[in-house]
Amino acid sequence: MREAFRQELKDLKAEVVSIGKVVTDRTRDAVTSLVTGDVDLAETVVAGDEEIDRRTLAVEEHSLEVIATQFPVARDLRLLHSLTYIALHLERMADLAVNIARAAKRTAGRRGPQTLYDLIQAQGNLVYRVLDATCEALETRDVELARKLQDLDEPIDHLYKQFFRELARLHDEEDIEWASSMVLASRYLERIADNAVDIGERIAYLVTGEFEALHSPDEETA
Amino acid sequence: MALRATPVPDNAPNKITVKELDFFYGDFHALTDITVDIKEKAVTAFIGPSGCGKSTFLRCFNRMNDLIPGARAEGLVSLDGQDIFETGVDPVDLRRRIGMIFQQPNPFPMSIYDNVAFGPRLQGVSKKAELDEIVQHSLERANLWKEVKDILGRGGLTLSGGQQQRLCIARVLAVEPEVMLMDEPCSAIDPTSVQKIEDLMAELKDRITIIIVTHNMQQAARVSDFTAFFLQEVAGDPAILVEYDRTSNLFTSPKDRRTEDYITGRFG
Ligand SMILES: Nc1ncnc2c1ncn2[C@@H]1O[C@H](COP(=O)(O)OP(=O)(O)O)[C@@H](O)[C@H]1O
Ligand SMILES: [Mg+2]
Repeated sequence: MREAFRQELKDLKAEVVSIGKVVTDRTRDAVTSLVTGDVDLAETVVAGDEEIDRRTLAVEEHSLEVIATQFPVARDLRLLHSLTYIALHLERMADLAVNIARAAKRTAGRRGPQTLYDLIQAQGNLVYRVLDATCEALETRDVELARKLQDLDEPIDHLYKQFFRELARLHDEEDIEWASSMVLASRYLERIADNAVDIGERIAYLVTGEFEALHSPDEETA
Repeated sequence: MALRATPVPDNAPNKITVKELDFFYGDFHALTDITVDIKEKAVTAFIGPSGCGKSTFLRCFNRMNDLIPGARAEGLVSLDGQDIFETGVDPVDLRRRIGMIFQQPNPFPMSIYDNVAFGPRLQGVSKKAELDEIVQHSLERANLWKEVKDILGRGGLTLSGGQQQRLCIARVLAVEPEVMLMDEPCSAIDPTSVQKIEDLMAELKDRITIIIVTHNMQQAARVSDFTAFFLQEVAGDPAILVEYDRTSNLFTSPKDRRTEDYITGRFG
């Protein structure tokens, strides 16, 4: 009985880690589609969102069921509660990746200054690093790594701010709709990483049992 | 049952203070080095594996262990700051102030009314109207009045087990105790009565301090404000108090690995 329960917890956690890896892939695909103007790739990101929604909802339903029937306490309760919380964040992150893919579709066929492409690719690379670390921290219950997410997130915020400075240098003849799509994409990337930092706090909580705020919402940029 | 409304404040006074208590049954050292403050007007639950000394500890508070030959306690137990082991303390008076409910309901072989009126009569209450009022009020507080108001003359032992347990609670309440000790009060009764007893505990704690021993962890989590976890780590060694905290903390983020293992069922 208790063995089956333990196995369910393990399976549920593995599912959330797996969703996290899919969200990482989707984010990577979204950025690639934006930078290369690959509409088909952008389309697969948009179409894939349904799967994420379904799987995160299933995680929530399943943990509610386990809570209702097994009366988990302590680390088991913290795990179940945190998995639901993390799944919800992953679902939002996937939505943000979809937004980036939509921006890719809007801007496909139009080219702007290479510096901005480079900037968004650089920001993307940093975001993948945060997402990979988030999945690893959850998988291995690595509190130190979870706490480091905050630091990994910082340069991403800086790049977002740099995006604005680059934008200010644009000339009138530049495609403004293209540019604003790029700014939005940069903003979405920054939001994805913020969600990952929140997940990191949750991972620290589920391991230690202490709520610790690693991250205070940064002052609104723009 | 409603969720506990407001948490017991951190500065709530201590009703019972235990310092460095050791307990022996002859040569057998049952408990060692127990230090704990029991908050006033709160429900405190004692949990732990069978045989870890929960009942033994509970019986220290009203000196019920005095009745066991060879049993002895070392250390301090005080009620409202007064040492209960002092020679001047009258155990009978102590047991009026600290009432006790046992696992097996034990009504006296007399009517429902007389069971509840028993204590007040001993204390010299003799006017019928006054006794009637005490009996009704006590049965109401014990969540039993509606079921027995028309059969007060019937024998207490004719009631169902769960009703008998609530009758025993009414009997304790009739002498206005300050503390009620409950030793696995719900282990031998039907679920409806369990619910009624859990409800009445929540109501009673406005006025009295309740300590409950329960082997049912969900019950401890539901009814108590504070939880103490006891454990005998090695067979033959005395049991210790491993962890004592607000119930909400202990059941979400226990600090001791042994508590965690016990409450999550990872034990043994
Ligand atoms: N009257 C007694 N005489 C001798 N040993 C006792 C007596 N009552 C309890 N014990 C022993 O003390 C230990 C604690 O018992 P108890 O307080 O009943 O534990 P719990 O209530 O946690 O199940 C057990 O080992 C038990 O056998
Ligand atoms: Mg016992």
